Amino acid sequence: MTRGSLPLWRYILGRLLQAVPLLLGIVVVNFLLIALAPGDPVTVLLGEYPAPPEYVARLRDRFGLDRPAHIRLGRYIANVVQGNLGFSFAYQVPVTRLVLERLGNTLLLMGTAMTLAALAGVLLGVAAARRPHSRLDAGATALSLVGYSIPEFWLGQLLVLLFAVALAWLPAQGIRSTREEYTGLAAALDLGRHLILPAAALAFRYIALIARITRAAMLEVMHQDFILAARARGVDERRVLWRHGLRNAAIPVATVIGYNYAFILAGSALVETVFGWPGVGRLLFDGILQRDTPVLLGVLLLVSVTVVLVNLATDVLYAYLDPRVRY
Amino acid sequence: MKVIGRILMALSLAVWLMAGSAAAQQTPQPGGTIVMALGADPETLNPGITTGYAVGAVTANIFSGLIRLGPRGEILPQLATSWQVAPDGRTYTFTLRRGVRWHDGRTLSAADVKFSLEEIAGKFHGRFRIAYANVESVSTPNTGTVVIRMKTPFAPFLQMLDTFNAPIMARHLFAGEDIARSPRNLQPVGTGPYVFQSWARGDRVVLVRNPNYWEPVYAERLVFRIIPNAAQRSTALETGEVDVVTDFYLAKTDVPRLRQNKNIRVRFGQPIPALDFMFINTRRGPLANAKVRRALAFAINREQIVAQAMAGIARPARGPFGDGFKYAYTPETDYTRIYAYSPERAAALLQEAGVARDSLRLSMIFDAARAPLAAAAQIIRDNLRQVGITVDLVPLERSVMIDRVYTKGDYDLTVQSFTSNTDPAIGYHRIYLTAPPGQPFVNATGYSNPEVDRLLALAGQTPAVGERAKIYAQVNTILARDLPTLILFDEVGVDAARAHLRNLWQGLDARDAWWLTWVGK
Repeated sequence: MTRGSLPLWRYILGRLLQAVPLLLGIVVVNFLLIALAPGDPVTVLLGEYPAPPEYVARLRDRFGLDRPAHIRLGRYIANVVQGNLGFSFAYQVPVTRLVLERLGNTLLLMGTAMTLAALAGVLLGVAAARRPHSRLDAGATALSLVGYSIPEFWLGQLLVLLFAVALAWLPAQGIRSTREEYTGLAAALDLGRHLILPAAALAFRYIALIARITRAAMLEVMHQDFILAARARGVDERRVLWRHGLRNAAIPVATVIGYNYAFILAGSALVETVFGWPGVGRLLFDGILQRDTPVLLGVLLLVSVTVVLVNLATDVLYAYLDPRVRY
Repeated sequence: MKVIGRILMALSLAVWLMAGSAAAQQTPQPGGTIVMALGADPETLNPGITTGYAVGAVTANIFSGLIRLGPRGEILPQLATSWQVAPDGRTYTFTLRRGVRWHDGRTLSAADVKFSLEEIAGKFHGRFRIAYANVESVSTPNTGTVVIRMKTPFAPFLQMLDTFNAPIMARHLFAGEDIARSPRNLQPVGTGPYVFQSWARGDRVVLVRNPNYWEPVYAERLVFRIIPNAAQRSTALETGEVDVVTDFYLAKTDVPRLRQNKNIRVRFGQPIPALDFMFINTRRGPLANAKVRRALAFAINREQIVAQAMAGIARPARGPFGDGFKYAYTPETDYTRIYAYSPERAAALLQEAGVARDSLRLSMIFDAARAPLAAAAQIIRDNLRQVGITVDLVPLERSVMIDRVYTKGDYDLTVQSFTSNTDPAIGYHRIYLTAPPGQPFVNATGYSNPEVDRLLALAGQTPAVGERAKIYAQVNTILARDLPTLILFDEVGVDAARAHLRNLWQGLDARDAWWLTWVGK
């Protein structure tokens, strides 16, 4: 792997080291933004009746809220470095445990949605690029526009009304059945049934986005010389399209998915809230409502780390394919 | 004659058969699961240290109080089988049910009751503390008897001993612990009809039947599904994924649709009153003048608020304590009559008070997450514009709203909602009593009137309903004149459940007594 000026591993290491101050900066900014916001987390926890002042004081002491912001920040960073994300005000359990409990659910939802979006989006984009300005292309363009404009939570509600209420084909919410306690394959199938609607609601916008990008990239690639050459050699048109065309168009598509990671996570927060899906996105949403600062910070840090890593992976892929990137 | 005889026989047979099937319908069937919707995870599973709604919903099935309240507020035995109240209202003697076991197998004793009242609910519970402030001592002459002596009588004391206010907790699990951070708060052990099984945060809490409970417990499991989105809670009820959505979690705008569904039963009317009102900051400029406050009352169209903000499911308010407690309502000072909507009278009063048209600009603070209150705030802004008052709407996140309104007192107008449990002395007196500023959910208007303070204290100590009505009538007259707070409407509770559930709603609180409900066909 020593093509070009810099070995790939040194490039990766360099980028990882750059990420450390970036993440630290994110932690500090997040912490200060939340610390400076008005309002008191303790008041949200105590119901609608005046709480005993001694109890309020004990809670403040327990959460460290009675200390000045810079001391709290210092402690927080020291904890985070050791992998301790703090203690949730609202749930009374460690944030790391909460996030880990939920992470799998979110990855499942996002993974399913993005696989669905990639498959459907690429198929739609290739089909549209094959006959530009045809009816199919116009239809795909219109669908993309609609898909990109519909808010996920609204689409989610529509899907529920159609498939759960009117047709009664699929469950309206949650991650597993309420009355049955399935195990083994039955449990997996049950989970699958609960996954379909939220994954579809989350995927819709990315089907649109990926279809648009695929179409544009395909149109550009299909006019290049090597495609002409392949055609001249008498290569089968289907093979030209999928092997030669799509392979080269795939990089921008992958890049778009990578760089949209943070938005996908934001979208999953809405979808998870609509469908009662117990994932990290909803943890973030509930954290905001309950002013659960440690949970908010923990999830934001997780998102930041994920975005940095996914961007890094995207860049590494680029660097591998095109050594000129490794300045 | 023969024919008639046959017809009669056939008829009687049919009647007998129908009666038989009706009887089968009415015979409680054990088994099955009841699923209830919660809007958020409970913040703890210790009901003794919070008044949080979700906590009460789950733990009312795990823990018990000395007494419980029936559907119309009747005081029924629970952990106590009988009680005597001394004629002076200062001594309560409770006889405990014998042979009650904690879910971990230990036997309940009077020491548990004393510990729960003194060390948990009396110290940490926002509502019970109000009642407990009147208690002088709790003593246990033997393991089956608890005697409570009062410093001053407190009329609603007995009602406050239910599981929502004074849950009885196991002394052997909490003694010597820092209650607020005990691990037991997440692993509850009670004496109630259901035993805690599991809690998947963000998804569900599962309880299973307590085989040793002293009354029949019908459903095998109670499942609490956490569904943050209000529209989804209604949908889950329609699809049958959820069996029960209580008023607190039910979107009023979905009620007409749910009523059309023959598989769903909707119950109107809430035994525990709730009031929605507008606080007026009496410390500020022209608002310090009662005439100006009365002008606001005339200018605000409360019927419009009920129709538009509450989809008609509410009653325009009649007085400072609503109409939920009959003895606290006085027909002579009924706001729907003495403050009937009249922009003309409002304008005249403002002129009398020396407030020139278009000279007054007020801020209106509200919790942005509460759609009905946000709608009410908008209607109030439009109403006040008609009389030349400009209102700036300030929607805020809940914790910021609490800070601005209660802690800092930095507002002109705000819309809020309070409940008062089983007595106005528990939740409504705090609106009007003189209090130092800065406490959440206590007198935010800055209103202070020694006569009102005296009368309300007296009302709290007077058990006789007739006597109390006279005291509240005096308070109502003063408050109708001073008007630190304009009551907008009395809420009408709406609970919804799947129709296959039988023997629904056997407690005053819609979250109570689910062990008596059974799953029919």
